[in-house]
Parts: sequence; structure tokens; C-alpha cells
Amino acid sequence: MLEVRELSIAYGGAPAVWDVSLDVGAGELVAVIGPNGAGKSTLVNTIAGLHRPRAGVIRCAGVELGALPSHRVCRHGIALVPEGRRLFTRMTVEENLEIGCYRDEARAERAAGLERVYGLFPILRERRRQLAGSLSGGQQQMVAIGRAMMARPRLLLLDEPSLGLAPAVVDAMFAIIRAIHDEGVAILLVEQNVIRALDIANRAYVLEEGRIVAGGAPDALRRESRIREAYLGVAN
Amino acid sequence: MPSATLLGQAVVSGLLAGGLYGLLALGLSLSWGLLRLVNLAHFALALLGAYLTYQLGTALHLSPWVAAIVLVPAFFGLGIALHLLFARFRVTEFTSLLVTFGIAVILESVIQWFWTADYRRYETPYASASFKLGPVFVPLLELFACLTAATLALATWAWLRFTYVGKALRAAAEDPAIAGAFGVDHRRHALLLSGLSAAYAGAAGTFIALIATLAPSQIWAWLGVVFAVVIIGGLGNPVGALLAGFLIGMSESITMAVVAPAWAPLVSFSILIGLLIFRPERV
Repeated sequence: MLEVRELSIAYGGAPAVWDVSLDVGAGELVAVIGPNGAGKSTLVNTIAGLHRPRAGVIRCAGVELGALPSHRVCRHGIALVPEGRRLFTRMTVEENLEIGCYRDEARAERAAGLERVYGLFPILRERRRQLAGSLSGGQQQMVAIGRAMMARPRLLLLDEPSLGLAPAVVDAMFAIIRAIHDEGVAILLVEQNVIRALDIANRAYVLEEGRIVAGGAPDALRRESRIREAYLGVAN
Repeated sequence: MPSATLLGQAVVSGLLAGGLYGLLALGLSLSWGLLRLVNLAHFALALLGAYLTYQLGTALHLSPWVAAIVLVPAFFGLGIALHLLFARFRVTEFTSLLVTFGIAVILESVIQWFWTADYRRYETPYASASFKLGPVFVPLLELFACLTAATLALATWAWLRFTYVGKALRAAAEDPAIAGAFGVDHRRHALLLSGLSAAYAGAAGTFIALIATLAPSQIWAWLGVVFAVVIIGGLGNPVGALLAGFLIGMSESITMAVVAPAWAPLVSFSILIGLLIFRPERV
């Protein structure tokens, strides 16, 4: 589905990501974990077309994305739930969702898409005429995920979906992520909640200072002493 | 205290003058609110449109309405050309003030070169046409300008509110990168909106030619009051611009009738300053 090869990204002049290679198979859920400032957001934003890579290859279903103008990237089945949600706060909930299905192919399925999103998040149906900026943090995160789902993605990029949410809302959010994954959508999940991320992922990569330092099945990563100390708070 | 008739006349004249303010504010509000470009050249374009309407009418005996049919599409193209220039030089919100100020000065000089600094008056048979509503005179031309402004403002509002392009423009005004990630090609839409904004300036120009006495320095006469209208109406809000135009037009003409003409700008700018103090989040 997604192949990233030897990707380097410079952000604001300074190099942020070095020589990163990773894969997400069709229908797979892959987590990227690592400390703040490791370059996780830069990595997913670049895959979504927000930044140009400095070197390397991003390929989705065989199509090279790195050189495309950003508004073309979504045609290849990629949708982004950005860090901090970045909703269009002065537009209504439903208008935010409609921007999600802006690309031609998705626009034809607007009604079905709205039904699907309102099915996942019934509260959004009630709030659909409300300004997105007036919603609670959890509801805004639902709109951000809904907006991305409206694009009919085959690969969903989720950047810190649980950041700043109350624990009960975090549980609900992970249940939704699992439900979307069960529908067959591949997911690349960036998450600071390492325990939850490793619980849900098929595979995971550890990104530190812009480089991938470890990767593999969650169980294998959980057994590595360095990861237990740094991310899971377990003393050896 | 003036008579009821004089007050009534002031309200009607103010509303009609406000329609023209609203028409001028419309294009400015769109490019400022949705493209983050403060286009000082907007007034120069409107005045250029007025002079061209005047020229086509006096030299070629073209009716102003035919002139408008020619000019409005031509201005649409001019707006696109200007935006290509802005995009080429990566003009930002702040630098747009400087660049468009320069363009306004150049256009003022061009107008002065062709038409001199003398006052020009475009005499048309309907310039003085009016009807009486009770004791109050309603000039037909100004009524038509006002209706045109209202129609354009409502149509623009509906376009922004209900079409995908309109929604994409509003989304990209807030977060162009994320809108782009969902397939919005903001650069193409920006060209369309700039063309539209200039076309509105052209339409306003036709009415200015018919209603006002023309002089190159008129560019700067509109500037202050229309800026106040744009900000009071809310950036990127076409119906707001129209209503703010009515508000400023009426407050000016009532002040003129009740106090003295010299006090009129004080009232409109007091409204603006009051708004900036009490509702700063609107700007």
C-alpha cells in the first residue's frame, strides 16, 4: 500500500527526518512511536503532501507521490487526520466533512459518506449545523477523523488522535480506530500513548531524532529493554 | 431639529449611497477575507472603470449598460492578471498593502495622463430621473446601483455558502495546507476570486461614472470610508459588507442632515473604532 524509501525531509531549513524507510501493507495498522520532536508529524505530513521531501521515495499503490502538487496526493487514496485536528473552525461540522469529500471520486459518494460518518459518530449528526470551532476537543477529533473518512481513503494517516483528550474519550477514540481498521482501511498511526499504540498495531516503528531506530511486531518491541525503559516506564 | 421630510430624505439617500459603498466594499472584503490580500488598488480599478464607462459613452456613444457588458468581463481578466503577478512575487497580507498602493498610484497617474485632473461629468438622460415616494425623492440610478449591490452580495453569499468552490475558498482561507491535502487547488480558486473581485470593481465603476463627478484623486476619497465598511461588515462576508454599507451611508447622511456635513466622517469612523474596541474578534 505505502512504501517509503530513504526519505529525508528538511523542515524550516533544518533536517527533520533522515533516511527513513517504512511500509504499510494493505489493511495493516502500523504505529510510529517516539519522543516529541522526533519528526513523527513531519513524516506523516510529508506523506500527505504538505511538505516536499528533500530526498527519497514515497510510493502509494505503485504511484510516486513525492513530486506531486499537494492537492493531487489525496487522489491516490491517502487522507490525513493532522495533529491538533486543524478543523475549519469557522465552518459547520457538515461543511468540514464536505471538504473531506472534495475530490471528485469521493464527492459522488457524499451522501453515503455522511451516513457512514454519522453512523460512527452519532453526536456529529446532532451538531452538523454547529460551527466546528464551538465543539469540545473530543468532538473536534471526531470531525477530523470523519473529514478524513469522507475522502474514502485506503490509507488513513492519524497524527496523535488521543492528544489532549479525557481518558474516557481516548478509549472511545481507540475503539473507533479499531472499527475503521476492521473495515479494511490501512492506518499509519502516530501516537504518544505508546501502550495503547502497541496494543492496537500490527507493527510499529520507533522514530528518534528523525531516524528509525527500531521496528517490528509489538510483542517484540515490548520485550526490548530500551523501549521498556524509555516508553513504557518499566525499570529493568 | 430638521423636519420629518428632511430626515426621511436623509435615510433614503443614505441607504442608496450605502449601496454603492457596499458594492465597492464587496470585492475588497472578498480578497482580504479569503485571499489575505488587502487590495488598495481596488478603488483605482473602480475609478478606472468609471473613466472607461465615461470614455465609451462620450467618444463612442456607447450606452453605459453596453459599456458595462464589455468592461465587467475585461476587468475579470484584469483581476486574474493582477493575481498572477501577486502569486509570482509571493505577495503576503502585509506586502500586498505596499504593492497595491503602488498600483493605485500608477493607475491614478494613468487616469490623470489620459483624462487630466479636470473634473468630468458624464451627462446621461437618466442622471436626474427619480420618482417620489410620499414626500421623499428616490433617484432611479442610485436605486439601481443599490439593487445591483444587493443582488451581487446575496449571490456571492450563496456561492460561498452552498457550492463546493465556495466552501473550498473558505476552508483554504483558514488552513490552505489542510484544504490542499483534501484536494483543494487553492491557486486556481484564488485566480477566480481575484477576477470576480475586479469585475465587481468594474461594475461599481459604471455606477460611479453615472452618479458621481469624476476626478483622479477620487481613488483616495473612497478609501477611508470603504475600509470602515469592509471591517464593520466582517472580512470575507458579502452580506455583512452590504449591510455595513447601508449603516455607514445612513449614519453619514443623517449626521449631515442633523448636524453638519463636516461631521459625517466622524460618525462612520466612531462606529468603526467602537466596533474594534468592543468586538475586536470580528476583524
